[in-house]
Amino acid sequence: MGVAAVTPSQFVGLAVLGLLAGLGLFGRGLLAYRRRSLVSGIATSRIASLAAGEVRVSGTVRAAAVTLVSPLQSRPCVYFRSRVVETFGRERRTVLAEERGVDFLVDDGSGQVHVFPRAARFDLPARFADRDGALGDAPAGLQPNAGPEIALAAPDREAAIADLLTVHQPAAIDRGSAGLGGAGVLTGLGGGRREYSELRLEPGDVVTVIGTALPFADLPDPANADRVDGPLGALADPEIAADLEAARAAGTLVGDPQAAWGNAAIEGFGIGQPVRAPVLDPAATPEPVAPPATDSAARGRFEIAPDALVLASGPTTPLAILAGSPGEAAGRAEDAFLLGLAGAVLAIASAVVLALSLSPIR
Amino acid sequence: MPLVAAAVFAVVLPLILVAFVLYTTYNAVVAMQQRIDKAWANIEVSLEQRHDELPNLVEAVRDVMAYEQDVLERVTTARSAYSPSEPVARQGAVSAETSSAIRSLFAVVERYPQLRSADNVAALQAEIQRLEGLIADRRELYNDSVYRYNTTIAQIPANMVAGLFGWRPREFFAAEPGAANPPDATLRPGPSPT
Repeated sequence: MGVAAVTPSQFVGLAVLGLLAGLGLFGRGLLAYRRRSLVSGIATSRIASLAAGEVRVSGTVRAAAVTLVSPLQSRPCVYFRSRVVETFGRERRTVLAEERGVDFLVDDGSGQVHVFPRAARFDLPARFADRDGALGDAPAGLQPNAGPEIALAAPDREAAIADLLTVHQPAAIDRGSAGLGGAGVLTGLGGGRREYSELRLEPGDVVTVIGTALPFADLPDPANADRVDGPLGALADPEIAADLEAARAAGTLVGDPQAAWGNAAIEGFGIGQPVRAPVLDPAATPEPVAPPATDSAARGRFEIAPDALVLASGPTTPLAILAGSPGEAAGRAEDAFLLGLAGAVLAIASAVVLALSLSPIR
Repeated sequence: MPLVAAAVFAVVLPLILVAFVLYTTYNAVVAMQQRIDKAWANIEVSLEQRHDELPNLVEAVRDVMAYEQDVLERVTTARSAYSPSEPVARQGAVSAETSSAIRSLFAVVERYPQLRSADNVAALQAEIQRLEGLIADRRELYNDSVYRYNTTIAQIPANMVAGLFGWRPREFFAAEPGAANPPDATLRPGPSPT
């Protein structure tokens, strides 16, 4: 009679689970070791004297032109990764998995530098992690965003006063109608328990950034460098790509934004402050043209000098954005590495237990 | 058979760990050496720029400061001592002496209203001050990079292979002239009262 014959199948299952979990922790530990080597191997540069090439800077996050509004807690941020998972008995379904980022500034007291987060690796702790109550009630911290997904970084005075004087009703957390970034992802099945998690990088957070400093004009694709998901997104969809190809072939695609979008191509038109007079229907109410000071302020907010050094992913150094000071980031990586060592021990122990379970007794 | 597989697994996993740590450490140390070289190259660029700007400043103030020849002489001497081929520590000492001489010169310039109001002198002063700030920041970055490298190759696991790969500690860029010889702060007895 073999040992396997007397060992419950759950025992073998647990050993397999321990083996897989241990290997998973071990793999993550190795990656953390590499991250720790990177973080602790580079000295921090002062932004005022930044030189081109691989650099590490550390400072406070400031919004550049716009901020995002996080889907689960409606907080202004420059990056979020939100996830909602619904559980029905033993079945799990991802209701929401969204990651977005915009360019932002890092201020270390000596100066500010633009960070373009495309292709960046983020190491941020979760700002919100909770689940529905036993009766299906939503957690207290959940405040789904039912408004716009982006906001101007610094609203003008009138808008700020108007917002201050507006009575905001607390958002009702209606599982059947909440927007969650306009996607309507909380609609649907209902009945299952949901787990929520949201990682965010907010203005005011201390952050460590390792990346390549290069002139803005040298970015491979400045127009899309602030997008975390890269430029492909919708273009990667074969159906959309085919439609675009057909439109090009038919000559219905125009290359000039003015021809394609009309007045909407004028800078500032979308926020009601066009920098030049739009062409309007004579019967329409004319839009006031922004004064030169507003024009200058808007350009200062959105335009970056071609020779200004910015931080982005480089060919040899992928951009890494880590919460906290360099010491804190290295400490987290070291903890993860030690956990990985424990995972290796767990994996070996599980493998031995599994082998003993499956071996025949002599 | 499963026991043999488990034994192999128990040996292979630590071996993978050791190989990964050595591989990562080797790459990290090589990257640190490159960063030190780059940081030094950036310092050299700034030193070269300052070296090129100093004669313009001395020329601009020489006529007015006819009675301050010793200050001008000190700047000129420090500048002429600059040699990019010298060892890092020597260059550090020369750079610090040059910075000190420049500070003395700027202090003296403050006593001449006609110089303070001259646009070209103000512009040269601003540019040299900018370069001084740049050199100070880059010296800090270089020294921090050297510190990280020297510490890493002295610690486990890099110290176990440092000899094999010929990793040697790098020199720091000296902070201030005479840093190696601190000022004599001994209290000496004054003349005895009679």
